[in-house]
Amino acid sequence: MSKRSAMIIEDNEDLAIIFAEALQAAGFDTGIIQDGSTALTRLESCVPNIIILDLHLPHVSGEDILKHIRADERLVETRVIIATADPRMADMLKDQADLVLLKPISFGQLRDLAGRLSPQPA
Amino acid sequence: MNLRRYSELLEVSSGDPDDARRRQLLNILLLGLAVLTLLTILITGTVIAAHMANPDKAALLAFFVSLGALAAIGLVFAINHYWSGQVASVLFLLMLTIVVALSDEPRQVVEGRSVFLFTIPILMASVILRPWASFALAGLSSLVIATLALRLPEYVPPAPTMLGFFAFAFVAWLSARSLESALKDLRDINRELDQRVEKRTQELQVANKELARANERLRELDRLKSKFVSMVSHELRTPLGAIQGFAEMLQAGIYGSLSKKQEDALERISKNTRRLLMIVNDLLDQARIEAGELSIRPTVFSPSDLTEDLKSTVGVLVERKGLELTTEVADDVPDSLYGDKERLHQILVNLTDNAIKFTDEGGVHVHICRPDGKHTSHWAIEVSDTGPGISEEDEELVFAPFRRVDDSMTREHIGVGLGLSIVKQLVELMNGEIILESEPGQGSTFTVVLPLQPEQRRTV
Repeated sequence: MSKRSAMIIEDNEDLAIIFAEALQAAGFDTGIIQDGSTALTRLESCVPNIIILDLHLPHVSGEDILKHIRADERLVETRVIIATADPRMADMLKDQADLVLLKPISFGQLRDLAGRLSPQPA
Repeated sequence: MNLRRYSELLEVSSGDPDDARRRQLLNILLLGLAVLTLLTILITGTVIAAHMANPDKAALLAFFVSLGALAAIGLVFAINHYWSGQVASVLFLLMLTIVVALSDEPRQVVEGRSVFLFTIPILMASVILRPWASFALAGLSSLVIATLALRLPEYVPPAPTMLGFFAFAFVAWLSARSLESALKDLRDINRELDQRVEKRTQELQVANKELARANERLRELDRLKSKFVSMVSHELRTPLGAIQGFAEMLQAGIYGSLSKKQEDALERISKNTRRLLMIVNDLLDQARIEAGELSIRPTVFSPSDLTEDLKSTVGVLVERKGLELTTEVADDVPDSLYGDKERLHQILVNLTDNAIKFTDEGGVHVHICRPDGKHTSHWAIEVSDTGPGISEEDEELVFAPFRRVDDSMTREHIGVGLGLSIVKQLVELMNGEIILESEPGQGSTFTVVLPLQPEQRRTV
């Protein structure tokens, strides 16, 4: 059985690497996307098990991407973790996401949470 | 009884204050005279009624003259009130002079007991007309007695009496003039005062407007400052988060195994990053509180969650310092509380962190309980330590932002002195209060008192 996949949508490269490493450590295949419109294109062809979503993205905002994901039937099983530094946005979107994490997010925190949220298949 | 309303009846409105004053004075005199006349009517009326069969002629005359006088008084009053004060005054003085001239035998009027009655209209003229009018009345009175004297046999006009009238008029003229000039001075002073008050009021209004503008500028600066701090803090947090993340990954062995020295160095990087991140977080919180952007998000939580989370956050710190952290939740505290759990955690961590900083021996005790006394509808978090305590004069400084008590004691603990200030402001945002009890050498206890949900309140 192939590994589960994670899509990291985060425009800050450093943070994207940390998120990717944390998810790899939790047993995911990872892909990094750094802008909103590319993310939407990619989501047309692939169905990740988990998405780490930053809200401040170039071209298309994280909020719009979240709406798109929630409206797409193919992505109904996809877990979405929002990563934001804005507590107000975190509060506003907490019902629409599976998890909302306030930046700064530690490597260990994300690794453990992702592991629990969608464990690696046996 | 409303005296003011009756006195208003005597007032006459006029553009000239002197005219108004004179007309009012005339009204007062008319009132006095009317009362006297009414009394005369009453008395003579009674006498006439007592001897209906053979009425006294003098009483009858007095009765009818008094009736006529009363009518004349009413007429003068009406003229004074509706038309002209001067005409009314002249009429009044003429009437008075005629009454005086006819009030006694001509002999008595010319140089007997009644001659002094002429001084009354002379005196009145100076105050109800102009001051010089007393001379006119002196002339009129002289004319009257001269005419009367000429009609009497063996009489010549009494020159000394006439001279006396003019001397009296002179005195009346002098006193009325000085009275008028004093009143005029008073009015001038009043007018000047009014002008000054108006000028000062205008100046004050201008100053007030400037103050309002300055205030607005200050508020704008304050908003800019908060915005700036908030923006800078955001920009600082992102790279700090990256440094922390990479250090953590290195420590977790993601990039291969490390030597003992490399691990030590990484630990130092992590520790300092955490400290810096805490300072930035504090600055950000302070800026958001000042900008009114920090809101409390209450949820239901269990008090034991608070103590457990606290232990996992500050446990390492306590151990490292060789202290003991004990927690206790009192039995009478409800199993579920309502509040912003994240912010309560922050409050508890800040208070405990502060206690640990200043305590070298012993430990920190956290007690969640129901407070005694007036706070029957509240719950409380008590954080007590066995540290050096805080002196009374320092107690006020403790909660001030960017202020630290005794810098020499905190030298090892770099911080910006915002921890307790933020705690206080958060507690106030939660409609609670924070109480500090401490004595130097006896340790300190910080008690945060917070309101319970209405249905959880203790039934007394």
